[in-house]
Amino acid sequence: MEIPVDKLDGVAVAAVPVDELDASNSGEFKRDITPVLQSHTKLVLDLRQLRFVDSSGLGAMLSCLRQLSAKGGDLKLCSLSKQVRALFELVRMHRIFEIYGTKEEAIRAFQN
Amino acid sequence: MATQQCSVEDTAALQESIQRHARYSLGKAWCDLSARDRFVAVALAVRDRMLDLSLETEDRYRRSDAKRLYYVSIEYLIGQSLGNNLQNLGMRESCRQALINLGADLDEIEESEPDAALGNGGLGRLAACFLDSLATLGMPGNGYGINYEYGLFKQEIDNGYQREKPDNWLAHSSPWQIARPDETCVVPVYGRIEHSLDRKGGYNPMWMEWKVLLGLPHDMPITGYGGRTVNFLRLYSAHSSHDFDMGIFNDGDYFKAVQQKITSETISKVLYPSDTAGAGQELRLVQEYFLVACTLRDIVRTFEQAHTSYQDFPAKVAIQMNDTHPALAVAELMRILVDEKNLEWEEAWETTQAALAYTNHTLLPEALEKWPVALLEHVLPRHLQIIYEINRRLLEQVAQVHPEDKDRLGRLSLIEESTPKQVRMANLAMVGSHSINGVAAIHTQLLETSLVPDFYRLWPERFNNKTNGISQRRWLLKANPALADLIRSVIGDAWITDLDQLRALEKCAGDAGFQREFRKVKRASKARLAQVIGDSSRMKPDLESLFDIHVKRIHAYKRQLLNVMHIIHEYLSLIEDGRQPTAPRTYVFAGKAAPGYWLAKQIIKLIHNVGRVINNDSRAGQWMKVAFIPDYRVSLAEKIIPAADLSEQISTAGTEASGTGNMKFALNGAITIGTRDGANIEIREEVGAENIFIFGLKPGEAQAMLRERSYRPHEYYDRDSRVRRVVDAFRSNLFCRDEPDLFAWIYRSILDENDEFLHLADLSAYLDAQENAAKAFNDPAAWTRMAILNVARMGKFSSDRAVREYASDIWGIEA
Repeated sequence: MEIPVDKLDGVAVAAVPVDELDASNSGEFKRDITPVLQSHTKLVLDLRQLRFVDSSGLGAMLSCLRQLSAKGGDLKLCSLSKQVRALFELVRMHRIFEIYGTKEEAIRAFQN
Repeated sequence: MATQQCSVEDTAALQESIQRHARYSLGKAWCDLSARDRFVAVALAVRDRMLDLSLETEDRYRRSDAKRLYYVSIEYLIGQSLGNNLQNLGMRESCRQALINLGADLDEIEESEPDAALGNGGLGRLAACFLDSLATLGMPGNGYGINYEYGLFKQEIDNGYQREKPDNWLAHSSPWQIARPDETCVVPVYGRIEHSLDRKGGYNPMWMEWKVLLGLPHDMPITGYGGRTVNFLRLYSAHSSHDFDMGIFNDGDYFKAVQQKITSETISKVLYPSDTAGAGQELRLVQEYFLVACTLRDIVRTFEQAHTSYQDFPAKVAIQMNDTHPALAVAELMRILVDEKNLEWEEAWETTQAALAYTNHTLLPEALEKWPVALLEHVLPRHLQIIYEINRRLLEQVAQVHPEDKDRLGRLSLIEESTPKQVRMANLAMVGSHSINGVAAIHTQLLETSLVPDFYRLWPERFNNKTNGISQRRWLLKANPALADLIRSVIGDAWITDLDQLRALEKCAGDAGFQREFRKVKRASKARLAQVIGDSSRMKPDLESLFDIHVKRIHAYKRQLLNVMHIIHEYLSLIEDGRQPTAPRTYVFAGKAAPGYWLAKQIIKLIHNVGRVINNDSRAGQWMKVAFIPDYRVSLAEKIIPAADLSEQISTAGTEASGTGNMKFALNGAITIGTRDGANIEIREEVGAENIFIFGLKPGEAQAMLRERSYRPHEYYDRDSRVRRVVDAFRSNLFCRDEPDLFAWIYRSILDENDEFLHLADLSAYLDAQENAAKAFNDPAAWTRMAILNVARMGKFSSDRAVREYASDIWGIEA
C-alpha cells in the first residue's frame, strides 16, 4: 500500500491509507511502513481514514512502536475515530500509545 | 381500555395501512397474498403504531433521564405476538373489522404466525412475561437476548418416539424485528494476553490476537397494556466482521474463507436445548459471552449519551442476570470499567456490584453452570485474569474472618479445584451482585440453607425472594377470552392491570348462575382442546370427563412417571379388580425432551405405549383416555391450559424452583394436584388448603432422605399392594408387547435406593390425593366453587406484582 508521509517540524506524519486494517492487509502495512521506521525516529500515525482495526492491525502498530522505541524514538497516534479508539481501549493499547485528537497536537507533543 | 371498541376511524386507518404494506412492503395486490403474506402485512401495520409509541416512550425516558433496567436472558419464550400486541394496543376489534372488510379472518391470520420459541421452558417464558409487565407498568426496562435463527426444535412423534425437527423461525425474517446495523457491536473472542508495561511503567495486560464477531441488534417492540409504553427486546445476531477473510481468500482457499464466515454466524444459529451440558461447550460459552458483550456495549453506549462520570452508573443502570448464563457480565463489566474506562479496581468493583443482580433458577447442584478453566482461558483470556483477581480478593476477605476454614474457602472459591479445574458461574454471579434472589419462598429458603449457605452467611443482606409471576394479559385475557369476558361481566376489567381485583369473584363462587356460566366456559375450552387432540390422534375425549393435564418439559424431577403410575393403577384396578374409576378422566400430556436426554425420551414413549393399550381397550373406553399432544409450545399452551380441570404439579419436593405453569392453570380455573414444591406452597397459602390437593413429602423430608440415604423404595413396594402392582407392570411387557423389556429399566430404577426423585415415597399419597380429586370432581357445585376460588385468589401470581417487587427492592426504577 502506498503510505503518504509528510515531514513537519522534524516529525514524520504517515497516514494509514485504508478504511480497515486487518488480517488481509496488516502484513502489507508492516512491509510498507518499514522504510519510514528506518529513516525516522519521531513518527505520527494519522488514523483519520481508518474505520476498523482488528488485532492483527493493532499488532502491526504495536510493532511500529517497538521498533521506534528500540532505537530511542517514539510513535504517537492521532485522529482516531470513536470506533477505532474503542478498539484500542478494548485491548488496553491506549495505555501504551500516546493518542492525540489532531496531527498538530501530536507534533506539538514531540516538541514538548 | 379493556372492552376493545371498534371505531370507524381506527378501522379505516388500519385497513388502509394493511393494504399499503401489502402493496409497498410486500409488492403484491391484496388478492395475491399468501396466508403468511397476510400475517406480515397485518403485523407491519400494527408495528407502525407500536413504533410511534416506542419513540414517544424513549423520548419520555430521555427527558426524565430515567434509570433503566437491562434484563439479560439467554432465552425468551415469546410465542405468537400479533394477538397479544393487538390486545395490548386496544386494536383487536378494529383489526378484526378491517380484515372482514378485506375478506379475511383475524383468527386465521393470528393462528398462522409461527411461535418465536427462543427458549426451552419456564425461564424464557418468565422473561417474556416480565417484559410484558414492565411495559404495562410503564417502567424503563428492556430485554437483551440472542436472535437465534433456529429456536427450540419442533417435536414430532413416530411410533411413540420423539423426533426432532429444526425450527427455522427466522427463515422468512420476523415482521416484528427492526435491524439496527448502525448500532452493531464488535465482540472480541479468543487470543492471548501479552504482559506488558504501560507508559507509566505499570502492569498492562494486553488482549492480543483475538478474533472478531459482530453483534447486529434487532429490536422487537414490546407493548404494554393500554399502549402508553412500548419498550423493546433487543436480540443480537452474530456476523462475521467481513463477508470473507480476504487474506485466506487471496491465498486461494475459498472454502476455508467461507467456512470462517459460517463459523462466526454459527454463534447465534441455534438455541441450546436444556439438559445438554457438555455438548458443544465452546460454542455455548462463546454464545453466552456474545450476549453479555453486546448487551454491556449497548448499556455503556446508552449511558454515555447522557453521562460522563461512571460514579453515576449505578444510579442510571440496573442489570438483571436471569440465571447464570449471563454471569460473565461480572467480568465483562469489570473489564470495561478497569481496562477501557480507567477506573481503579475498587471503584470498578463497587460500580459492578451496585449495577448487577442475579436470579437463581435451580436447586439441582448439577445444573449449576461451570466452565473448564482451560476453555475459558482459550476463549476469554482477559476475563479469566479478571475472574482470578476477583477470586483472590474474595478469598482474602473470607480468610480474614475464617483463617482456618479451608473447606469454606474451597466452597466459596470461584474456582473448583477439580480435574479439570472449573469456574463456578453461580459463585461469580453471586460475588458480583448486590442482590441474589430465588423465585419462590421455599426456593429462596433452600438456596440460603442448602445450595449456597456459605454465601448466605457471608452476605445475608444480598439474599431475597421474588416469587415468580405470569402475565394475566397473555394467560387469561388472550388465552381464555371467554373466561375473561365472564369475569369482566361480573367485576369489570380492573384485574387486567391489577390482578388482586379478582378477589371480588369470591362472592360469586357459590352462586349457581355464575357457576353454570363458569362450567359452560370450561366446557367450551375442553371442546376446543378435544379438537386439537382429535387433530393429532383421532381420539375423541369425553367432554364430561375430568381433564387431568400434565404439560411441561419432560424431565425426571418433574415426575411425569409418577403420573403414569397413577394411570396404570387406575387401569389395572379396572381390568383386574373390576373397580371402576371414581370419575372418568382424560389424561393429557405435552412436553419436549432434550434431544440427548434418553430417560426423558423413554418417558414419552411410555406415555404413548400406556395410552395405546388403554385407548384400545374397550373395558376402559368410557373411563379413561390418554393423549399426548406433540410439539408443546406457547401457542399450544394457550389452548391446553384453559381446558384443564386438574393441574399436575408433582415434582419431587425441593427440586422445582418455582414453576409458573402451576399459576397459569390455577388462573384458568384448574385445581392443582401438587407436591410441597416451588410456588405450589404459596398457591396453597393463597387459595386455601381446601381448594388444592397437596400430597407427599415436605422439602425438608425429601432432602433428609437423600442426605441420610434413608430412602427404602422396597419398603413402600412391600407395604402397599397398589404400589407393588404398578411397579411390577413395568417388567411385565404389558405396555411393550412389540418391544419386550422396553420398560424394565423403570422397574429397576424406581426400586433403586438411588432414585433421587423418590417416586415410591410419594406414590401412595399421590394415589390417595388423586382419589380425593376424583370424588371432588363428582360434585360439580363443590368443584366449580373450588375452581372459581382458585381464579379469585391468584392475584399474588401476576408478573406485575413480581416486577414491582424487583423494581422497588432491586432495580430502583420507577414508572
